[in-house]
Amino acid sequence: MNSLRIIRLIAGNTFLEAVRQKLFLFLVFIAAAFIVSSFYFRDLDFGFSELKFISDFGFGAIVFFGSILSIAGAAQLFFNEIENRTALTILAKPVRRIEFILGKFTGVWAVVLAFTAMMTLLLMAILWYREGILMGMERFARDFPEGRKVLYGDILWVGFLQWLKFGILISITMIVAGFARTNLFTVVISFFILIICHLQYLARDAWAEIAFWPARMGVAVMGFAFPNFQVFNVGEYVALYEPLPWSVIGSLVGLSAIYIIVYNLLAVVSFRSREI
Amino acid sequence: MAPAIEIKELTKDFPLGLGKYKLRAVDHLSLRVEQNQVFGLLGPNGSGKSTTMKVILGLLTPTAGECRVYGLPSNKTAARKEVGFLPEAPYFYKYLSGLEMVVLMGKICGLSAARARERAWEVIEWVGLKDAARRRVGTYSKGMLQRIGIAQALVHDPQLIILDEPTAGVDPVGSAEISSLVLKLKEAGKTILLCSHLLAQVEDICDHVAIMNKGRCIRQGPLAEITEGQGDTEIRLDQLPEPEVEALRRWLGERGIDLRQVKRPQLRLDEVFLREIGKADLIYRQGSESVQLGSQVTSDKAGKDSENE
Ligand SMILES: Nc1ncnc2c1ncn2[C@@H]1O[C@H](COP(=O)(O)OP(=O)(O)O)[C@@H](O)[C@H]1O
Ligand SMILES: [Mg+2]
Repeated sequence: MNSLRIIRLIAGNTFLEAVRQKLFLFLVFIAAAFIVSSFYFRDLDFGFSELKFISDFGFGAIVFFGSILSIAGAAQLFFNEIENRTALTILAKPVRRIEFILGKFTGVWAVVLAFTAMMTLLLMAILWYREGILMGMERFARDFPEGRKVLYGDILWVGFLQWLKFGILISITMIVAGFARTNLFTVVISFFILIICHLQYLARDAWAEIAFWPARMGVAVMGFAFPNFQVFNVGEYVALYEPLPWSVIGSLVGLSAIYIIVYNLLAVVSFRSREI
Repeated sequence: MAPAIEIKELTKDFPLGLGKYKLRAVDHLSLRVEQNQVFGLLGPNGSGKSTTMKVILGLLTPTAGECRVYGLPSNKTAARKEVGFLPEAPYFYKYLSGLEMVVLMGKICGLSAARARERAWEVIEWVGLKDAARRRVGTYSKGMLQRIGIAQALVHDPQLIILDEPTAGVDPVGSAEISSLVLKLKEAGKTILLCSHLLAQVEDICDHVAIMNKGRCIRQGPLAEITEGQGDTEIRLDQLPEPEVEALRRWLGERGIDLRQVKRPQLRLDEVFLREIGKADLIYRQGSESVQLGSQVTSDKAGKDSENE
Protein backbone atom coordinates (compact mmCIF):
# COMPACT_ATOMS: atom_id res chain seq x y z
CA MET A 1 0.00 0.00 0.00
CA ASN A 2 3.06 2.09 -0.40
CA SER A 3 1.73 3.18 -3.79
CA LEU A 4 -1.40 4.68 -2.24
CA ARG A 5 0.75 6.62 0.19
CA ILE A 6 2.93 8.02 -2.58
CA ILE A 7 -0.17 8.98 -4.59
CA ARG A 8 -1.60 10.70 -1.54
CA LEU A 9 1.66 12.59 -0.90
CA ILE A 10 1.93 13.81 -4.48
CA ALA A 11 -1.76 14.73 -4.50
CA GLY A 12 -1.43 16.64 -1.23
CA ASN A 13 1.53 18.56 -2.55
CA THR A 14 -0.31 19.35 -5.80
CA PHE A 15 -3.29 20.63 -3.84
CA LEU A 16 -1.02 22.82 -1.74
CA GLU A 17 0.60 24.25 -4.84
CA ALA A 18 -2.78 24.99 -6.42
CA VAL A 19 -4.22 26.87 -3.48
CA ARG A 20 -1.07 28.96 -3.29
CA GLN A 21 -1.56 29.89 -6.93
CA LYS A 22 -3.40 32.94 -8.19
CA LEU A 23 -5.44 31.17 -10.87
CA PHE A 24 -7.37 29.14 -8.31
CA LEU A 25 -8.22 32.10 -6.09
CA PHE A 26 -9.10 34.18 -9.13
CA LEU A 27 -11.55 31.59 -10.47
CA VAL A 28 -13.11 31.12 -7.05
CA PHE A 29 -13.58 34.85 -6.79
CA ILE A 30 -15.02 35.32 -10.28
CA ALA A 31 -17.36 32.33 -10.08
CA ALA A 32 -18.60 33.45 -6.68
CA ALA A 33 -19.18 36.94 -8.05
CA PHE A 34 -21.25 35.48 -10.92
CA ILE A 35 -23.38 33.35 -8.64
CA VAL A 36 -24.02 36.24 -6.27
CA SER A 37 -24.77 38.62 -9.15
CA SER A 38 -27.72 36.45 -10.29
CA PHE A 39 -29.33 37.49 -7.05
CA TYR A 40 -29.37 41.12 -8.16
CA PHE A 41 -31.45 40.46 -11.27
CA ARG A 42 -34.47 40.66 -9.04
CA ASP A 43 -35.68 43.91 -10.54
CA LEU A 44 -36.53 41.80 -13.57
CA ASP A 45 -39.20 40.55 -11.23
CA PHE A 46 -39.23 36.93 -12.29
CA GLY A 47 -41.22 35.97 -9.27
CA PHE A 48 -41.86 32.26 -9.23
CA SER A 49 -39.37 31.43 -11.99
CA GLU A 50 -36.70 33.58 -10.41
CA LEU A 51 -35.37 30.66 -8.40
CA LYS A 52 -35.07 28.60 -11.57
CA PHE A 53 -33.09 31.41 -13.07
CA ILE A 54 -30.73 31.63 -10.10
CA SER A 55 -30.17 27.90 -10.17
CA ASP A 56 -29.57 27.77 -13.95
CA PHE A 57 -27.28 30.74 -13.80
CA GLY A 58 -25.40 29.35 -10.80
CA PHE A 59 -24.81 25.92 -12.34
CA GLY A 60 -23.83 27.63 -15.59
CA ALA A 61 -21.13 29.51 -13.70
CA ILE A 62 -19.99 26.36 -11.90
CA VAL A 63 -19.73 24.38 -15.14
CA PHE A 64 -18.03 27.17 -17.03
CA PHE A 65 -15.42 28.14 -14.45
CA GLY A 66 -15.07 24.56 -13.21
CA SER A 67 -14.18 23.45 -16.75
CA ILE A 68 -11.58 26.20 -17.02
CA LEU A 69 -10.16 25.24 -13.64
CA SER A 70 -10.07 21.55 -14.56
CA ILE A 71 -8.23 22.04 -17.84
CA ALA A 72 -6.00 24.99 -16.97
CA GLY A 73 -5.32 23.65 -13.48
CA ALA A 74 -4.37 20.16 -14.64
CA ALA A 75 -2.16 21.51 -17.44
CA GLN A 76 -0.53 24.12 -15.23
CA LEU A 77 0.14 21.82 -12.30
CA PHE A 78 1.56 19.17 -14.62
CA PHE A 79 3.83 21.49 -16.59
CA ASN A 80 5.07 23.25 -13.47
CA GLU A 81 6.62 19.93 -12.52
CA ILE A 82 8.18 19.49 -15.95
CA GLU A 83 9.36 23.06 -16.42
CA ASN A 84 10.65 23.56 -12.89
CA ARG A 85 12.30 20.17 -13.17
CA THR A 86 10.70 19.02 -9.95
CA ALA A 87 9.43 15.95 -11.83
CA LEU A 88 13.07 14.99 -12.20
CA THR A 89 13.61 15.11 -8.45
CA ILE A 90 10.45 13.14 -7.70
CA LEU A 91 10.86 10.50 -10.40
CA ALA A 92 14.49 9.93 -9.37
CA LYS A 93 13.04 8.60 -6.12
CA PRO A 94 11.51 5.13 -6.02
CA VAL A 95 8.30 6.53 -7.56
CA ARG A 96 6.52 4.89 -10.47
CA ARG A 97 5.18 6.90 -13.36
CA ILE A 98 1.67 5.63 -12.63
CA GLU A 99 1.95 6.90 -9.06
CA PHE A 100 3.05 10.30 -10.31
CA ILE A 101 0.17 10.62 -12.79
CA LEU A 102 -2.46 9.36 -10.37
CA GLY A 103 -1.07 11.65 -7.67
CA LYS A 104 -1.31 14.65 -9.98
CA PHE A 105 -4.82 13.66 -11.08
CA THR A 106 -6.03 13.20 -7.52
CA GLY A 107 -4.51 16.51 -6.45
CA VAL A 108 -6.18 18.46 -9.26
CA TRP A 109 -9.47 16.65 -8.71
CA ALA A 110 -9.32 17.58 -5.02
CA VAL A 111 -8.78 21.22 -5.97
CA VAL A 112 -11.81 21.07 -8.25
CA LEU A 113 -13.79 19.38 -5.46
CA ALA A 114 -13.00 22.30 -3.18
CA PHE A 115 -14.12 24.70 -5.89
CA THR A 116 -17.33 22.82 -6.76
CA ALA A 117 -18.26 22.33 -3.12
CA MET A 118 -17.74 25.99 -2.26
CA MET A 119 -19.74 27.20 -5.26
CA THR A 120 -22.57 24.70 -4.76
CA LEU A 121 -22.90 25.68 -1.11
CA LEU A 122 -22.87 29.34 -2.08
CA LEU A 123 -25.59 28.70 -4.65
CA MET A 124 -27.68 26.86 -2.06
CA ALA A 125 -27.28 29.71 0.40
CA ILE A 126 -28.44 32.26 -2.18
CA LEU A 127 -31.40 30.14 -3.23
CA TRP A 128 -32.40 29.62 0.39
CA TYR A 129 -32.19 33.32 1.13
CA ARG A 130 -34.13 34.37 -1.97
CA GLU A 131 -36.75 31.67 -1.52
CA GLY A 132 -37.35 32.97 2.00
CA ILE A 133 -37.88 36.48 0.70
CA LEU A 134 -40.23 35.34 -2.08
CA MET A 135 -42.27 33.29 0.37
CA GLY A 136 -42.74 36.37 2.47
CA MET A 137 -44.03 38.44 -0.46
CA GLU A 138 -47.78 38.48 -0.81
CA ARG A 139 -47.69 38.30 -4.60
CA PHE A 140 -45.80 35.01 -4.62
CA ALA A 141 -47.00 33.43 -1.41
CA ARG A 142 -49.45 31.17 -3.28
CA ASP A 143 -46.52 29.60 -5.19
CA PHE A 144 -45.33 28.04 -1.94
CA PRO A 145 -48.42 26.35 -0.52
CA GLU A 146 -46.42 23.72 1.36
CA GLY A 147 -43.41 25.77 2.37
CA ARG A 148 -40.05 25.61 0.57
CA LYS A 149 -40.07 24.07 -2.90
CA VAL A 150 -36.38 23.98 -3.86
CA LEU A 151 -34.90 20.49 -3.42
CA TYR A 152 -31.65 21.41 -1.68
CA GLY A 153 -30.46 17.80 -1.34
CA ASP A 154 -30.70 17.42 -5.11
CA ILE A 155 -28.71 20.59 -5.66
CA LEU A 156 -25.88 18.91 -3.78
CA TRP A 157 -26.24 15.89 -6.05
CA VAL A 158 -26.08 18.04 -9.16
CA GLY A 159 -22.93 19.68 -7.81
CA PHE A 160 -21.45 16.25 -7.14
CA LEU A 161 -22.25 15.06 -10.67
CA GLN A 162 -20.59 18.16 -12.14
CA TRP A 163 -17.51 17.28 -10.11
CA LEU A 164 -17.51 13.79 -11.68
CA LYS A 165 -17.66 15.39 -15.10
CA PHE A 166 -14.70 17.59 -14.18
CA GLY A 167 -12.88 14.38 -13.21
CA ILE A 168 -13.31 13.09 -16.77
CA LEU A 169 -12.12 16.42 -18.10
CA ILE A 170 -9.01 16.39 -15.88
CA SER A 171 -8.13 12.88 -17.03
CA ILE A 172 -8.47 13.97 -20.67
CA THR A 173 -6.12 16.87 -19.96
CA MET A 174 -3.64 14.51 -18.29
CA ILE A 175 -3.58 12.29 -21.40
CA VAL A 176 -2.74 15.29 -23.57
CA ALA A 177 -0.20 16.65 -21.06
CA GLY A 178 1.55 13.27 -20.99
CA PHE A 179 2.84 13.67 -24.52
CA ALA A 180 2.46 17.41 -25.21
CA ARG A 181 5.52 19.65 -25.22
CA THR A 182 3.86 22.79 -23.92
CA ASN A 183 1.21 23.96 -21.53
CA LEU A 184 -0.55 26.02 -24.20
CA PHE A 185 -0.85 23.09 -26.60
CA THR A 186 -2.32 21.00 -23.79
CA VAL A 187 -4.90 23.63 -22.90
CA VAL A 188 -5.96 24.22 -26.52
CA ILE A 189 -6.31 20.53 -27.37
CA SER A 190 -8.18 19.82 -24.15
CA PHE A 191 -10.68 22.61 -24.78
CA PHE A 192 -11.14 21.26 -28.27
CA ILE A 193 -11.94 17.83 -26.83
CA LEU A 194 -14.28 19.46 -24.32
CA ILE A 195 -16.22 20.97 -27.21
CA ILE A 196 -16.33 17.60 -28.98
CA CYS A 197 -17.70 16.04 -25.79
CA HIS A 198 -20.43 18.63 -25.63
CA LEU A 199 -21.40 18.35 -29.28
CA GLN A 200 -20.87 14.66 -29.99
CA TYR A 201 -24.54 13.89 -29.34
CA LEU A 202 -25.28 15.69 -32.61
CA ALA A 203 -23.09 13.23 -34.47
CA ARG A 204 -24.51 10.36 -32.47
CA ASP A 205 -28.06 11.37 -33.37
CA ALA A 206 -27.10 11.46 -37.00
CA TRP A 207 -25.11 8.22 -37.15
CA ALA A 208 -28.02 5.95 -37.74
CA GLU A 209 -28.84 7.85 -40.91
CA ILE A 210 -25.36 7.59 -42.44
CA ALA A 211 -25.50 5.04 -45.22
CA PHE A 212 -21.75 4.72 -45.80
CA TRP A 213 -20.76 2.14 -43.18
CA PRO A 214 -17.11 3.19 -42.50
CA ALA A 215 -18.33 6.67 -41.67
CA ARG A 216 -21.02 5.18 -39.47
CA MET A 217 -18.37 3.13 -37.71
CA GLY A 218 -16.21 6.21 -37.28
CA VAL A 219 -19.01 8.13 -35.64
CA ALA A 220 -19.82 5.17 -33.41
CA VAL A 221 -16.21 4.87 -32.27
CA MET A 222 -16.07 8.59 -31.59
CA GLY A 223 -19.24 8.25 -29.57
CA PHE A 224 -17.50 5.78 -27.30
CA ALA A 225 -14.10 7.47 -27.18
CA PHE A 226 -15.56 10.79 -26.08
CA PRO A 227 -18.26 10.85 -23.42
CA ASN A 228 -21.41 12.79 -24.11
CA PHE A 229 -21.16 15.68 -21.66
CA GLN A 230 -24.73 16.73 -22.44
CA VAL A 231 -26.02 13.97 -20.14
CA PHE A 232 -24.55 15.82 -17.17
CA ASN A 233 -26.96 18.73 -17.66
CA VAL A 234 -29.26 17.62 -14.88
CA GLY A 235 -29.78 21.09 -13.43
CA GLU A 236 -33.18 21.06 -15.20
CA TYR A 237 -34.63 18.68 -12.64
CA VAL A 238 -33.72 20.93 -9.78
CA ALA A 239 -34.92 24.02 -11.53
CA LEU A 240 -38.28 22.37 -12.17
CA TYR A 241 -38.52 21.24 -8.55
CA GLU A 242 -38.50 17.62 -9.63
CA PRO A 243 -36.55 15.06 -7.64
CA LEU A 244 -33.43 13.74 -9.37
CA PRO A 245 -34.13 10.07 -10.24
CA TRP A 246 -31.72 7.56 -8.70
CA SER A 247 -31.37 5.91 -12.07
CA VAL A 248 -29.92 9.12 -13.47
CA ILE A 249 -27.48 9.51 -10.57
CA GLY A 250 -26.45 5.85 -10.80
CA SER A 251 -25.84 5.87 -14.53
CA LEU A 252 -23.82 9.09 -14.40
CA VAL A 253 -21.65 7.78 -11.55
CA GLY A 254 -21.04 4.57 -13.50
CA LEU A 255 -20.28 6.41 -16.72
CA SER A 256 -17.84 8.77 -14.97
CA ALA A 257 -16.08 5.93 -13.15
CA ILE A 258 -15.48 4.03 -16.39
CA TYR A 259 -14.19 7.05 -18.29
CA ILE A 260 -12.00 8.27 -15.40
CA ILE A 261 -10.37 4.85 -14.96
CA VAL A 262 -9.80 4.26 -18.67
CA TYR A 263 -8.56 7.79 -19.33
CA ASN A 264 -6.16 7.69 -16.39
CA LEU A 265 -4.69 4.45 -17.68
CA LEU A 266 -4.25 6.10 -21.07
CA ALA A 267 -2.61 9.08 -19.35
CA VAL A 268 -0.13 6.71 -17.70
CA VAL A 269 0.64 5.10 -21.06
CA SER A 270 1.04 8.54 -22.61
CA PHE A 271 3.41 9.67 -19.84
CA ARG A 272 5.33 6.44 -19.58
CA SER A 273 7.56 6.98 -22.58
CA ARG A 274 8.12 10.64 -21.85
CA GLU A 275 11.77 11.52 -21.35
CA ILE A 276 12.12 13.79 -18.35
CA MET B 1 28.43 -8.11 -4.24
CA ALA B 2 27.29 -6.40 -7.41
CA PRO B 3 29.01 -3.09 -8.21
CA ALA B 4 27.07 0.04 -7.32
CA ILE B 5 26.74 0.97 -10.98
CA GLU B 6 27.57 -1.06 -14.02
CA ILE B 7 27.14 0.41 -17.47
CA LYS B 8 27.88 -1.60 -20.58
CA GLU B 9 28.11 -0.10 -24.05
CA LEU B 10 25.50 2.51 -23.25
CA THR B 11 24.32 4.59 -26.19
CA LYS B 12 21.66 7.29 -26.08
CA ASP B 13 20.30 9.11 -29.11
CA PHE B 14 17.95 12.05 -29.00
CA PRO B 15 15.73 12.68 -32.04
CA LEU B 16 16.29 16.04 -33.65
CA GLY B 17 13.06 17.55 -34.85
CA LEU B 18 10.84 15.37 -36.99
CA GLY B 19 13.51 14.11 -39.36
CA LYS B 20 15.51 10.97 -38.86
CA TYR B 21 18.57 12.91 -37.72
CA LYS B 22 19.65 12.01 -34.27
CA LEU B 23 21.94 13.49 -31.71
CA ARG B 24 24.15 10.94 -30.05
CA ALA B 25 24.48 12.21 -26.47
CA VAL B 26 26.22 9.10 -25.12
CA ASP B 27 28.26 6.81 -27.33
CA HIS B 28 29.15 3.27 -26.27
CA LEU B 29 30.00 4.19 -22.71
CA SER B 30 31.08 1.47 -20.31
CA LEU B 31 31.91 2.05 -16.69
CA ARG B 32 31.82 0.42 -13.31
CA VAL B 33 31.47 2.17 -9.99
CA GLU B 34 32.46 -0.03 -7.06
CA GLN B 35 31.15 0.20 -3.54
CA ASN B 36 32.57 3.15 -1.52
CA GLN B 37 34.23 4.88 -4.44
CA VAL B 38 34.00 8.58 -5.18
CA PHE B 39 33.65 8.36 -8.93
CA GLY B 40 33.96 11.50 -11.00
CA LEU B 41 32.30 11.69 -14.39
CA LEU B 42 34.10 14.60 -15.95
CA GLY B 43 33.92 16.44 -19.22
CA PRO B 44 32.92 19.70 -20.86
CA ASN B 45 29.34 20.90 -21.16
CA GLY B 46 27.28 18.76 -23.48
CA SER B 47 29.55 15.73 -23.22
CA GLY B 48 26.71 13.51 -22.02
CA LYS B 49 27.26 13.42 -18.27
CA SER B 50 23.73 14.38 -17.22
CA THR B 51 22.28 12.06 -19.85
CA THR B 52 24.28 9.18 -18.39
CA MET B 53 23.02 10.01 -14.91
CA LYS B 54 19.43 10.15 -16.09
CA VAL B 55 19.80 6.70 -17.62
CA ILE B 56 21.19 5.42 -14.31
CA LEU B 57 18.12 6.87 -12.58
CA GLY B 58 15.73 5.31 -15.08
CA LEU B 59 14.54 8.72 -16.28
CA LEU B 60 15.72 8.01 -19.81
CA THR B 61 15.60 4.74 -21.73
CA PRO B 62 18.89 3.75 -23.34
CA THR B 63 18.94 3.47 -27.13
CA ALA B 64 21.37 0.55 -26.76
CA GLY B 65 23.42 -1.06 -24.06
CA GLU B 66 22.58 -1.79 -20.46
CA CYS B 67 22.78 -0.11 -17.11
CA ARG B 68 22.50 -1.80 -13.74
CA VAL B 69 22.34 -0.35 -10.24
CA TYR B 70 23.30 -2.84 -7.54
CA GLY B 71 22.64 -5.55 -10.08
CA LEU B 72 19.10 -4.38 -10.95
CA PRO B 73 18.25 -2.96 -14.38
CA SER B 74 18.01 0.80 -13.98
CA ASN B 75 14.49 1.03 -15.42
CA LYS B 76 13.12 -0.88 -12.40
CA THR B 77 11.70 1.29 -9.64
CA ALA B 78 13.35 -0.91 -7.02
CA ALA B 79 16.78 0.00 -8.42
CA ARG B 80 16.27 3.55 -7.11
CA LYS B 81 15.58 2.50 -3.52
CA GLU B 82 19.18 2.94 -2.44
CA VAL B 83 19.88 5.97 -4.59
CA GLY B 84 19.87 9.66 -3.73
CA PHE B 85 20.05 12.22 -6.52
CA LEU B 86 20.94 15.89 -6.68
CA PRO B 87 19.75 17.21 -10.05
CA GLU B 88 21.70 19.71 -12.09
CA ALA B 89 20.55 23.23 -11.22
CA PRO B 90 18.17 21.90 -8.61
CA TYR B 91 14.75 23.45 -8.55
CA PHE B 92 12.40 22.35 -5.84
CA TYR B 93 8.86 23.26 -4.91
CA LYS B 94 9.35 26.97 -4.32
CA TYR B 95 6.23 27.26 -2.20
CA LEU B 96 7.57 24.81 0.39
CA SER B 97 10.06 25.59 3.12
CA GLY B 98 13.34 23.71 3.03
CA LEU B 99 12.19 21.55 5.90
CA GLU B 100 8.79 20.77 4.33
CA MET B 101 10.49 19.83 1.09
CA VAL B 102 12.96 17.43 2.70
CA VAL B 103 10.21 15.90 4.86
CA LEU B 104 8.04 15.37 1.75
CA MET B 105 10.91 13.67 -0.09
CA GLY B 106 11.58 11.49 2.96
CA LYS B 107 7.96 10.38 3.08
CA ILE B 108 7.96 9.69 -0.65
CA CYS B 109 10.99 7.47 -0.10
CA GLY B 110 8.93 5.45 2.38
CA LEU B 111 9.88 6.92 5.76
CA SER B 112 7.09 7.28 8.32
CA ALA B 113 5.97 10.84 9.01
CA ALA B 114 7.78 10.96 12.36
CA ARG B 115 10.95 9.37 10.99
CA ALA B 116 10.92 11.70 7.97
CA ARG B 117 10.84 14.75 10.25
CA GLU B 118 13.62 13.39 12.41
CA ARG B 119 15.82 12.52 9.43
CA ALA B 120 15.04 15.85 7.73
CA TRP B 121 16.38 17.76 10.72
CA GLU B 122 19.44 15.50 10.81
CA VAL B 123 20.38 16.03 7.18
CA ILE B 124 19.50 19.72 7.20
CA GLU B 125 21.78 20.21 10.17
CA TRP B 126 24.40 18.10 8.46
CA VAL B 127 24.45 20.32 5.36
CA GLY B 128 24.44 23.41 7.56
CA LEU B 129 21.02 24.86 6.75
CA LYS B 130 19.44 24.68 10.17
CA ASP B 131 18.84 28.42 10.39
CA ALA B 132 17.17 28.58 6.98
CA ALA B 133 15.12 25.40 7.34
CA ARG B 134 11.81 27.21 7.75
CA ARG B 135 12.34 29.65 4.91
CA ARG B 136 10.74 29.07 1.53
CA VAL B 137 13.03 27.33 -0.95
CA GLY B 138 12.22 30.13 -3.40
CA THR B 139 14.28 32.52 -1.29
CA TYR B 140 17.44 30.36 -1.15
CA SER B 141 20.74 31.33 -2.74
CA LYS B 142 22.42 29.07 -5.27
CA GLY B 143 24.73 27.52 -2.67
CA MET B 144 21.84 26.92 -0.29
CA LEU B 145 19.85 25.28 -3.08
CA GLN B 146 22.69 22.87 -3.71
CA ARG B 147 22.88 22.05 -0.03
CA ILE B 148 19.13 21.54 0.43
CA GLY B 149 19.38 19.43 -2.72
CA ILE B 150 22.01 17.27 -1.07
CA ALA B 151 19.85 17.08 2.06
CA GLN B 152 16.84 15.78 0.11
CA ALA B 153 19.09 13.30 -1.70
CA LEU B 154 20.33 11.92 1.63
CA VAL B 155 17.09 11.93 3.59
CA HIS B 156 16.39 8.22 3.18
CA ASP B 157 20.01 7.31 3.91
CA PRO B 158 20.78 5.81 0.48
CA GLN B 159 23.92 3.81 -0.28
CA LEU B 160 24.59 5.45 -3.61
CA ILE B 161 24.53 9.20 -4.03
CA ILE B 162 24.50 10.77 -7.48
CA LEU B 163 25.41 14.43 -7.71
CA ASP B 164 25.02 16.33 -10.98
CA GLU B 165 27.37 19.32 -10.99
CA PRO B 166 27.27 19.79 -7.22
CA THR B 167 29.68 22.73 -7.24
CA ALA B 168 28.68 24.54 -10.42
CA GLY B 169 27.87 28.18 -9.79
CA VAL B 170 28.77 27.96 -6.12
CA ASP B 171 31.35 30.25 -4.49
CA PRO B 172 34.71 28.84 -3.24
CA VAL B 173 33.54 28.45 0.35
CA GLY B 174 30.35 26.75 -0.74
CA SER B 175 32.13 24.41 -3.08
CA ALA B 176 34.80 23.59 -0.48
CA GLU B 177 31.98 22.78 1.93
CA ILE B 178 30.31 20.54 -0.62
CA SER B 179 33.63 18.78 -1.25
CA SER B 180 34.03 18.17 2.45
CA LEU B 181 30.48 16.78 2.64
CA VAL B 182 31.33 14.36 -0.16
CA LEU B 183 34.42 13.16 1.70
CA LYS B 184 32.40 12.67 4.87
CA LEU B 185 29.93 10.57 2.90
CA LYS B 186 32.77 8.42 1.65
CA GLU B 187 33.99 7.97 5.22
CA ALA B 188 30.49 6.87 6.16
CA GLY B 189 30.81 4.08 3.61
CA LYS B 190 28.65 5.59 0.85
CA THR B 191 29.32 5.39 -2.85
CA ILE B 192 29.30 8.68 -4.72
CA LEU B 193 29.00 9.35 -8.41
CA LEU B 194 29.45 13.00 -9.22
CA CYS B 195 29.79 14.80 -12.48
CA SER B 196 31.36 18.12 -13.19
CA HIS B 197 32.86 20.22 -15.93
CA LEU B 198 35.18 21.79 -13.36
CA LEU B 199 37.87 19.18 -13.74
CA ALA B 200 40.38 20.82 -11.43
CA GLN B 201 37.91 21.19 -8.60
CA VAL B 202 36.79 17.59 -8.34
CA GLU B 203 40.31 16.32 -8.74
CA ASP B 204 40.71 16.80 -5.01
CA ILE B 205 37.87 14.54 -3.99
CA CYS B 206 37.48 11.78 -6.56
CA ASP B 207 39.38 8.54 -6.38
CA HIS B 208 38.20 7.23 -9.75
CA VAL B 209 37.38 9.27 -12.81
CA ALA B 210 36.05 8.84 -16.30
CA ILE B 211 36.62 11.71 -18.68
CA MET B 212 33.97 12.15 -21.36
CA ASN B 213 34.00 14.13 -24.55
CA LYS B 214 31.17 14.24 -27.10
CA GLY B 215 29.49 11.26 -25.49
CA ARG B 216 32.57 9.07 -25.54
CA CYS B 217 34.75 8.07 -22.64
CA ILE B 218 38.30 9.13 -23.46
CA ARG B 219 40.12 8.17 -20.23
CA GLN B 220 39.05 6.12 -17.26
CA GLY B 221 40.69 4.75 -14.14
CA PRO B 222 41.99 5.57 -10.66
CA LEU B 223 42.72 9.27 -10.38
CA ALA B 224 46.33 8.78 -9.27
CA GLU B 225 47.04 6.72 -12.38
CA ILE B 226 45.47 9.22 -14.73
CA THR B 227 47.10 12.31 -13.29
CA GLU B 228 50.49 10.78 -12.62
CA GLY B 229 53.12 13.10 -14.08
CA GLN B 230 55.48 11.39 -16.49
CA GLY B 231 59.02 10.91 -15.19
CA ASP B 232 59.24 13.55 -12.46
CA THR B 233 59.11 12.99 -8.73
CA GLU B 234 57.81 15.58 -6.30
CA ILE B 235 59.03 15.58 -2.71
CA ARG B 236 57.61 17.81 -0.03
CA LEU B 237 59.86 18.70 2.95
CA ASP B 238 59.71 20.88 6.01
CA GLN B 239 61.31 24.31 5.59
CA LEU B 240 64.75 23.60 4.03
CA PRO B 241 67.52 26.20 4.53
CA GLU B 242 69.60 27.23 1.50
CA PRO B 243 72.85 25.33 2.51
CA GLU B 244 70.84 22.15 2.91
CA VAL B 245 69.38 22.59 -0.55
CA GLU B 246 72.91 22.79 -1.91
CA ALA B 247 73.94 19.68 0.01
CA LEU B 248 70.91 17.86 -1.34
CA ARG B 249 71.70 18.95 -4.87
CA ARG B 250 75.25 17.61 -4.53
CA TRP B 251 74.06 14.35 -2.98
CA LEU B 252 71.59 13.85 -5.80
CA GLY B 253 74.19 14.89 -8.40
CA GLU B 254 76.47 12.10 -7.22
CA ARG B 255 73.68 9.68 -8.06
CA GLY B 256 73.17 11.15 -11.50
CA ILE B 257 69.85 12.82 -10.65
CA ASP B 258 69.24 16.42 -11.63
CA LEU B 259 67.49 18.61 -9.08
CA ARG B 260 65.53 20.82 -11.38
CA GLN B 261 63.35 23.00 -9.21
CA VAL B 262 63.24 24.18 -5.65
CA LYS B 263 60.33 26.39 -4.68
CA ARG B 264 57.92 27.21 -1.97
CA PRO B 265 54.57 25.65 -2.86
CA GLN B 266 51.99 28.02 -4.21
CA LEU B 267 48.59 28.24 -2.69
CA ARG B 268 45.65 28.31 -5.01
CA LEU B 269 43.56 31.44 -4.83
CA ASP B 270 40.59 29.63 -3.37
CA GLU B 271 42.88 28.28 -0.67
CA VAL B 272 44.15 31.76 0.15
CA PHE B 273 40.56 32.89 0.41
CA LEU B 274 39.59 30.03 2.70
CA ARG B 275 42.58 30.77 4.95
CA GLU B 276 41.74 34.45 5.13
CA ILE B 277 38.20 33.77 6.30
CA GLY B 278 39.39 31.23 8.84
CA LYS B 279 38.11 28.13 7.06
CA ALA B 280 41.47 26.50 6.34
CA ASP B 281 40.09 23.20 7.56
CA LEU B 282 38.06 22.94 4.37
CA ILE B 283 41.19 22.87 2.22
CA TYR B 284 41.74 19.38 1.00
CA ARG B 285 44.10 18.09 -1.61
CA GLN B 286 44.35 14.59 -2.88
CA GLY B 287 46.94 12.69 -0.82
CA SER B 288 47.65 15.36 1.76
CA GLU B 289 45.62 16.55 4.68
CA SER B 290 46.10 20.20 3.97
CA VAL B 291 48.88 22.09 2.32
CA GLN B 292 51.82 22.85 4.57
CA LEU B 293 53.90 25.84 3.74
CA GLY B 294 57.34 24.31 3.36
CA SER B 295 59.84 23.69 0.64
CA GLN B 296 58.95 21.70 -2.40
CA VAL B 297 61.55 19.87 -4.40
CA THR B 298 61.12 18.61 -7.94
CA SER B 299 63.65 16.36 -9.58
CA ASP B 300 63.57 14.29 -12.70
CA LYS B 301 64.60 10.76 -13.55
CA ALA B 302 63.86 9.47 -10.11
CA GLY B 303 64.27 5.71 -9.83
CA LYS B 304 61.16 3.87 -10.90
CA ASP B 305 60.87 2.32 -7.46
CA SER B 306 61.00 5.64 -5.62
CA GLU B 307 57.83 6.59 -3.89
CA ASN B 308 55.42 8.74 -5.77
CA GLU B 309 53.96 11.24 -3.35
N1 LIG C 1 16.09 15.91 -23.94
C1 LIG C 1 17.01 16.16 -24.87
N2 LIG C 1 16.67 16.29 -26.16
C2 LIG C 1 17.61 16.52 -27.09
N3 LIG C 1 18.91 16.66 -26.85
C3 LIG C 1 19.33 16.56 -25.57
C4 LIG C 1 18.40 16.30 -24.51
N4 LIG C 1 19.10 16.24 -23.35
C5 LIG C 1 20.39 16.45 -23.67
N5 LIG C 1 20.53 16.63 -25.00
C6 LIG C 1 21.80 16.86 -25.72
O1 LIG C 1 22.68 15.80 -25.38
C7 LIG C 1 24.00 16.28 -25.22
C8 LIG C 1 24.53 15.88 -23.87
O2 LIG C 1 23.84 16.61 -22.88
P1 LIG C 1 24.12 16.46 -21.34
O3 LIG C 1 24.12 15.02 -21.00
O4 LIG C 1 23.17 17.33 -20.62
O5 LIG C 1 25.59 17.04 -21.20
P2 LIG C 1 26.41 17.44 -19.91
O6 LIG C 1 25.61 17.09 -18.71
O7 LIG C 1 27.67 16.65 -20.02
O8 LIG C 1 26.66 18.91 -20.00
C9 LIG C 1 23.94 17.78 -25.42
O9 LIG C 1 24.37 18.06 -26.74
C10 LIG C 1 22.49 18.11 -25.26
O10 LIG C 1 22.14 19.21 -26.05
MG1 LIG D 1 24.91 18.33 -17.27
